[in-house]
Amino acid sequence: MHLAISLDIAAATGEAVLDFSRISKFVRQAEAAGVDMVAISDTADGLSSSPFEATTLLAALATVTNRIGLVATASTIAHQPYNLARRFASLDIISHGRAGWNAMMAQSPREAANFSRPEGFSDTDFRRRSEEYIGIVQGLWQGWDADALLFDKSGGRFHAPEKMHLLDHKGEFFSVRGPLNVARSPQDTPVLVLSGLSEADFDIAVRTADVILLESGSVESAKARFDDLKRRATAAGRDPDAVKVLTNISLTAEDKPAATADRLETQFRARSCDGFNIELPAQRSAIDDFADRILPELGQRGLVRESYRGTTLRSHLGLAGGGDQ
Amino acid sequence: MTARMKLGAFLWATGHHIAAWRHPKAHVNAGIDIDHYIQLARTAEAAKFDMIFCEDAAGLREANVGIASQTSRSIGFEPISLLSALAVQTSHIGLVSTASTSYNEPYGLARTFLSLDHLSGGRAGWNLVTSASPIEAANFGSTGLKPHADRYERAREFAEVVTRLWQGKAPGHDGQSFSVHDPLDLPRSPQGAPVMVQAGASDVGRDLAARTADVVFTAAQTFEEAKAFYDDLKGRMAAYGREPDDIKIMPGVSPVVAETEAEAREKHEELQALIPDDVGVALLSSYLSISDLGRYPIDGPLPELPESEGMKSRQALVVEQSRRDGLSIRQLARHFAGARGHWRIVGTAAQVADELQARFEGGAADGFNVMPSYLPGELDAFATLVVPELQRRGLFRRDYEGRTLRDHLGLKRPA
Ligand SMILES: Cc1cc2nc3c(=O)[nH]c(=O)nc-3n(C[C@H](O)[C@H](O)[C@H](O)COP(=O)(O)O)c2cc1C
Repeated sequence: MHLAISLDIAAATGEAVLDFSRISKFVRQAEAAGVDMVAISDTADGLSSSPFEATTLLAALATVTNRIGLVATASTIAHQPYNLARRFASLDIISHGRAGWNAMMAQSPREAANFSRPEGFSDTDFRRRSEEYIGIVQGLWQGWDADALLFDKSGGRFHAPEKMHLLDHKGEFFSVRGPLNVARSPQDTPVLVLSGLSEADFDIAVRTADVILLESGSVESAKARFDDLKRRATAAGRDPDAVKVLTNISLTAEDKPAATADRLETQFRARSCDGFNIELPAQRSAIDDFADRILPELGQRGLVRESYRGTTLRSHLGLAGGGDQ
Repeated sequence: MTARMKLGAFLWATGHHIAAWRHPKAHVNAGIDIDHYIQLARTAEAAKFDMIFCEDAAGLREANVGIASQTSRSIGFEPISLLSALAVQTSHIGLVSTASTSYNEPYGLARTFLSLDHLSGGRAGWNLVTSASPIEAANFGSTGLKPHADRYERAREFAEVVTRLWQGKAPGHDGQSFSVHDPLDLPRSPQGAPVMVQAGASDVGRDLAARTADVVFTAAQTFEEAKAFYDDLKGRMAAYGREPDDIKIMPGVSPVVAETEAEAREKHEELQALIPDDVGVALLSSYLSISDLGRYPIDGPLPELPESEGMKSRQALVVEQSRRDGLSIRQLARHFAGARGHWRIVGTAAQVADELQARFEGGAADGFNVMPSYLPGELDAFATLVVPELQRRGLFRRDYEGRTLRDHLGLKRPA
């Protein structure tokens, strides 16, 4: 089963604020336990006292870890698609193919107010804009063929001209010429994670996402949704296994390790998901508890891998793409 | 104690010379190798540089694919992610990244730089640019490059909002280009606020710098040009209630240095020999904001040019140099290919130190942004040859004065 851990760095206030050394220690513990990826989210709507923004934190974490996937939330309101595509392509190179972008499908009113969009977008506009945005970002990520760079010093050919492609996108919300001025990602494209989905976003998600994060519900409803998403992926012409569906699980510090493991195991065996995204409050006690007690329990039951087979996030998730598989 | 000069290490992948990547010792895959940058940052930190400086463009540098493919400049790291990685791999050196006011929003940019500042313990700086290239503009809409004056007006509003946000205030701003309501959701900077750097030297550019910048990065060929710029900018500061010393002016300098002068010249010639003519002319054209320089005879003079809507100051610098030295397009292009109009010095450590000292003590610079011709070789050479010479002369620090970039630069903590 795939296992992601989400750390909401913005949710912490006061004493609970995590500094870089504490966050990196936790991410290394998760790496030692074979967790697929850690997702950093910082999009809390209220005030927080976390000192970090997710993409910058991810870059720093990339240099102190080796294997674990690193996913950062970045909103489609806060960045222009060209800039965001560049940021994540760069993060992927810095992490040697371990980066992912978590795009929120729900818009945050606070963001709209601070990003010169006081009225925000209507839901349908936001949905169309998001799909266009994601298409641009993924298109930019594919602007350079895998063998475009020649590094031919004596011949004076740095890259093969025909292996660099313009995007030339002209759409309803954006116009972007491209190509990206960052090289192709080590895993071809960074992993796209979608979260905050409503029913109406599902078709966009199965067309574009590598990973879908879903809110938890009963095992039955989760199973029905899981099957529905896989069916939709097939209908969209994709291998259903190319879209990993993870169920969000919120853990509180008091959870008994055995009870938590039971819960995950039951849901997983019912084939209601490809794995889980454990949402941890950014508090020392919660993350210590998770690292020291729950992860070992999951390991003992064989629910998480003992070690990584490959080096890229795509390989951890069993997704096709560059890098090793 | 007399003032010491400030030094930036301006890192650009394989180096600043347009043909640097072809040099046998240049690290050719620099644009995809984070370890290369970690190494460069550590070299610069060991040499006690004030900061690392990264340029940026939100697009290719060169429109013509045939030309672009003969340079290494079409790919590189996005600098904010690059510097965030370097922040936790270094302990003292300042980390300055360029970012455009034309293609960002103030809330997001202020937040990202503040995060870099926290990651580095107060060592971040933002180099404000207005982005002069139509290639970039095409990645952000279909309407093309906005006029110079409009870009600067947006930049002024942008800088004002960012300053308020970094002061921990709610901007409650509803302006011409932006509306921003809340304060930032990150704590105050360990150095009060990240350092504001500015590159751009036109009249409006200087005014904006006099109002908001802590450091100004500029290009100047001769002592007279550098001195005139220095006096003019410092002279504008009183109008904004600031002291001349509140801004550090750091012109770019690209040294080619070796144990002997002959060796340095040889090294320089080796690089010059690697420039294809069409690449040199294309680079020059892009900075002159003219697309068709290639249709003029390469051994003839620079034609009369319409005033640029791109980089006004750089166009003026090139035109002035071509007239002053009577240079043909080819000569000008070859000269420009070394450091894009920045000052070049080829010689021994003592010769380089003499020249830097003359501009520093002559009141034409508070320090320099050092632009290694190729990397890592020329940064190593500067660190091992020139820095000790400057230290011996008492012109440069032997150790860091503090931990933050403001400490190194001797800048006040903002209120
Ligand atoms: C020394 C120097 C360095 C610059 N570096 C950059 C850069 O990295 N990226 C960029 O987009 N513009 C850069 N610029 C351009 C400025 O942002 C500005 O857009 C341009 O110079 C036009 O302004 P000006 O006419 O005031 O010089 C630089 C300018 C100077 C003088």
